[in-house]
Amino acid sequence: MSVIEVSQLTKVFRIPKKEPGLGGAVKGLFRPRFEAKTAVDHIDFKMDSGEIVGYIGVNGAGKSTTIKMLTGVLLPTSGSARILGRDPHRQRVANAREIGVVFGQRTQLWWDLALIESLNLIARIYEVPPARYRQMLERFSETLDLGDLLKVPVRNMSLGQKMRAELAAALIHEPKVVYLDEPTIGLDLIVKERIREFIRSQCAGTGMTVLLTTHDLGDIEELCQRVLIIDAGRILFDGPISAIRDRFGKYREIAFETVAPAAGLSLKLPRGTEVVEASEHRLRVRFDRTRATASQVASQAMNQTEVLDFSLSEPDLASIVKQIYNGALVK
Amino acid sequence: MIRRLFREPPKYLAILGMVPKVFMAYQLWFWIGLVLSTIAMAILYFFWRAVYGGTQAIAGLTLDTTLTYILLAQVFRPLTDVDLIYEFGYNLREGGIVHHLLRPLNFQGMFYAQSLGNLATQMVLQIPMALVATFVFGLRWPADPVVWGAFLVSAIMGYTALFFFVYSVACLTFYTTEVWGLGVLFFGMSLFLSGGLVPLAMMPGWLRTVVLSIPFAQALAVPINILTGITPLAQVPQVWLSQLVWVVGLWLASNLVFRVALRKVTVQGG
Repeated sequence: MSVIEVSQLTKVFRIPKKEPGLGGAVKGLFRPRFEAKTAVDHIDFKMDSGEIVGYIGVNGAGKSTTIKMLTGVLLPTSGSARILGRDPHRQRVANAREIGVVFGQRTQLWWDLALIESLNLIARIYEVPPARYRQMLERFSETLDLGDLLKVPVRNMSLGQKMRAELAAALIHEPKVVYLDEPTIGLDLIVKERIREFIRSQCAGTGMTVLLTTHDLGDIEELCQRVLIIDAGRILFDGPISAIRDRFGKYREIAFETVAPAAGLSLKLPRGTEVVEASEHRLRVRFDRTRATASQVASQAMNQTEVLDFSLSEPDLASIVKQIYNGALVK
Repeated sequence: MIRRLFREPPKYLAILGMVPKVFMAYQLWFWIGLVLSTIAMAILYFFWRAVYGGTQAIAGLTLDTTLTYILLAQVFRPLTDVDLIYEFGYNLREGGIVHHLLRPLNFQGMFYAQSLGNLATQMVLQIPMALVATFVFGLRWPADPVVWGAFLVSAIMGYTALFFFVYSVACLTFYTTEVWGLGVLFFGMSLFLSGGLVPLAMMPGWLRTVVLSIPFAQALAVPINILTGITPLAQVPQVWLSQLVWVVGLWLASNLVFRVALRKVTVQGG
């Protein structure tokens, strides 16, 4: 059975439409007009126990709205979400016991109190048995390096410390389903790395299911086997990262180091190949891999000019995703 | 069901227990509050002495009774202090409301526990005020334990009624998201309408009707009347009964209002 089952999930917001100027403001007071905005548009997906799925899309694509519906704090306009077989809105309290949530831009901790006070309270609210709580605390102290932080009030923490504290607070009751909304936002590389490592170690063996939204493709590459791409409320892609590369990483590049100055060369290359860069002794070409192979391109080039060295490069995920955001899929 | 009865209260008690800790983070406020409250108490004390002048009794109350009433009302002023409007507004603005909704707890229960924690903390912090009232202004405390018992029951019911009332009003912030004006309005109203400045008996009939038809007075004037003996013990059961009606009525109302207001958050996304 799937842990998360989403079918035809839709959210339409009514946004008050404000006309400019004082006249418009007064008009809006008496006859408010609304505009319907579809934030999430009939999406379907399923997640199995133990999966870590990356949920990506541009700002305003509908990621947070989806997460709010899955956590039960937002009522869908139509369609349904089932978390561990429950309706998260109708069975809000029962659902809340099983989930953990981190919103990268908000805190669930008591601002003025030492972190340990917040954790103690959360453990009591979620009925974590005391022995288990001590065990978890010990583990987190190690994996998140919380040791010294436990006595520090949250308001005195740096962003990176705060995020580690948030993760501890969200996971101390060992939830079955975890939503992480931009958990690495604004963090430096070392903290990012530590947080990824922590998420990975928490998932390993526990069967914890994680839905992770992020703008950092490094998070996705290091943590997720599967990616959902959402744009304008619709799921554009659902599949493994490797499939994105296969489907959208159409172009590859070869860089040649030539004996003759590269700028003066005019080579005849397979169709669909274009020169990206030609400077001094460096020639970079891009080709459509569905129309030519790397060896065809390389051998044709080498037949026409003397080549000292060459290298082949795969497109990185970031450039592919950019391409997808720019509407590569719409075509 | 029985198991739940034993399992749930500790969670809310844990929330209640957080309040004093949060408060202790702001020790300076305690000292400032103490000075301000002492000044307020002195003003009221001398004001009422001046009002009486040589008069024996006003509206059936002697100077002694009135002073006792006013001083006790100052000491027990935290009973009128349900600070949910700022709390809700702040939560809504900062998005904390989402985290509250994500807890496996009853939303209203969570805030009730927090408010009781607040009341308990504030009452402990009123001890210096009680000493000032006793040794500087000569407050004579009632000695009859029955009177104290009657007072406590009435105070808790009145406070609870006020909580449900403020909770209902605080739900309005889901719509306005503007809290400062509402908060100030409420603070001003609670000060006067709770009967903390003027005993109810001295108010003109129409005003008394108004004051008794909104729940502020239930939390302060009504229990303090019992404590000072202005309301005789024989009438206490009647007072309790009417307070119980307030509690139940406002509890129902607050849940109705909350259900509608929550739709605003969960349907419109705050």
